[in-house]
Amino acid sequence: MFRKVLIANRGEIALRILRACRTLGVEAVVAYSEGDRESLPVGLADEAICIGPADAKRSYLSAPAVISAALVTGCDAIHPGYGFLSEDEGFAEVVAAHDLTFIGPPASVLERFASKAGTRQLLGGFGLPTIPGSEGMLRDDLHALDEAERIGYPVLVKPSAGGGGKGMRMVRTPRELESVLRVCRSEAKAAFGDDSLYLEKWLDENRHVEVQVAIDRYGHGIHLGERDCSVQRRHQKILEEAPTPAMSDAARTDLAERALKAAVAAGYQNVGTLEFLVDRDGNFYFIEINCRIQVEHPVTEVLTGVDLVAMQMRIAAGEPLGMTQADIAFRGHAIEFRINAEDPEHEFRPSAGVVERYHAPGGPGVRVDSHLFTGYEVPPYYDSLLGKLIVWGPDRPSAIARGRVALEELVIDGLVTNVSIHQALLANETFLEGKMTTNLLDRVGSAAFLAAAARA
Amino acid sequence: MPGSLPADSQRPPDTAADARTADERAADHAAIDRLTEDLLPALIAKLGATGLGELEVREGGWRVRLRRPADGQPPIRSRRPAERSTGDRAERGTDRSTERAARTLHRPLEAKTARTQSRAVATSPAVGIYRPRADLAVGARVRAGDRVGAVDILGVAQEVVAPVDGILGSSLVESGDAVEYGQEILVIEFTPNPASTNGTGG
Repeated sequence: MFRKVLIANRGEIALRILRACRTLGVEAVVAYSEGDRESLPVGLADEAICIGPADAKRSYLSAPAVISAALVTGCDAIHPGYGFLSEDEGFAEVVAAHDLTFIGPPASVLERFASKAGTRQLLGGFGLPTIPGSEGMLRDDLHALDEAERIGYPVLVKPSAGGGGKGMRMVRTPRELESVLRVCRSEAKAAFGDDSLYLEKWLDENRHVEVQVAIDRYGHGIHLGERDCSVQRRHQKILEEAPTPAMSDAARTDLAERALKAAVAAGYQNVGTLEFLVDRDGNFYFIEINCRIQVEHPVTEVLTGVDLVAMQMRIAAGEPLGMTQADIAFRGHAIEFRINAEDPEHEFRPSAGVVERYHAPGGPGVRVDSHLFTGYEVPPYYDSLLGKLIVWGPDRPSAIARGRVALEELVIDGLVTNVSIHQALLANETFLEGKMTTNLLDRVGSAAFLAAAARA
Repeated sequence: MPGSLPADSQRPPDTAADARTADERAADHAAIDRLTEDLLPALIAKLGATGLGELEVREGGWRVRLRRPADGQPPIRSRRPAERSTGDRAERGTDRSTERAARTLHRPLEAKTARTQSRAVATSPAVGIYRPRADLAVGARVRAGDRVGAVDILGVAQEVVAPVDGILGSSLVESGDAVEYGQEILVIEFTPNPASTNGTGG
């Protein structure tokens, strides 16, 4: 195991990694930007080091600053968290060149899975059904139109690089396709520096289900079941739960086993997530792999009792998994609510400011991963995630009941948050029946969704 | 008293206005011009950049004092004042020339500075290993913008820059020390001399 780890991230995930380090008896240094000087991870850390100004490009996204901070503080590994440099194979390579360990897949593995289209092809070759899509990247408009015709409308235009919904458009006609290609290219170019696009068949009523895997350096892997992330707004996950209400136990197990088998065969290493779309008839299609710890990892942790961040560190340190699939048991039902500083009544406009009063809910089956405290000033420079509320119950209805109580108890004064959208979800028939699809919010619009919940 | 200015400018108390010669008046006007064109804007920029509550400069029989409004920013923070946002604006006067000058001169300083009335501090531009400049010793005269040392970040040197004209004072870190971004590195004894403040000397 490592002696000392540099935490190259901020907010709730920096805190989560700090806790994992302490549990393992590993020293930790929190690297922070000037914008996060007064943050909780910095305050709780035994050691913290300022790596740059608030602008993430010159701090959390600066490979030289992060690596230099690790070297001068005597760290032997860097945990990148999620976002920022977490899936940057160039960064992972430079980290290794400085005799430091990147806590995640090695650079060679990140490189193998860097292209989404390439990954689909690779894992498709190992037995995972992939969603019908274009053959490689779109060469030009004519090629795009031909491929869309072959796949069948509606189709989704997607950039090869990046994620988070940028540069993505769903189109239903050739005319629409022609009109969005240029916009998608320029959005992709601006966001990821790469304007390659590809097409994917669009499933109107689909669910987003992902499988968590963990594979050690020796090719020994386990799966930790799936998570249902169908509740989204414009391709951004809002609420995640497990097990998915969309599939039978046998179907869920089959999906997880096939995902693990393909990931092992393709040479994946460390913890990772394979994302799938599931259609109305239960057919699943592989879409992409996330080579990092994910925001929603606690759902799996409370269901299985496995500390995924600690597992990630052990694998990166070269330790064998030390457990087999038979050791993994799934108990009850878990739901995670992402608490964001966003105003659901105004197009989810981000809000920043001082948390005048903060109270985290508690009680049986309630976990809160958050960097908030009373008096904390939420900086305007970063994403709007304030924390995650995770509830567990022996079954879905009891988890939902605990979720209602916990959301009611949560106090975040001074900021506008999206708590109301979660409360509306827990009052929504479609959600309560477990029949939500990824268009649940976008179909009616969030404002209408909130209003309907208020009437109910 | 030019109440519209954000500064109190006071004439030397021993000079009676009606007893002056034309030459003296011309000299006075030149001094006032220099005050409004060069010194005041520079001081306002500095006040804005440091987050200090008050700044006073004396020269000859002149004294200029700038103060933040009572409801303005609190005085310098105890911990790492270099980190203060450069968004703290200088006081805004109603005088046109002052406003214009404040606009043009309130450029973000490359090296953010923490300053008292007579000392400023050069801070680290990066996280890495500090190397002083071998040819500079305590007592050396430096100008704002001069390289006074470097911080090695993965073998690439980033300059530590003097924030003001002055005399090199004590070093707050040793050669070879690890430093973080924004860390205070070198004291510069600040010369309260407008001739050097306006940077026209060379």
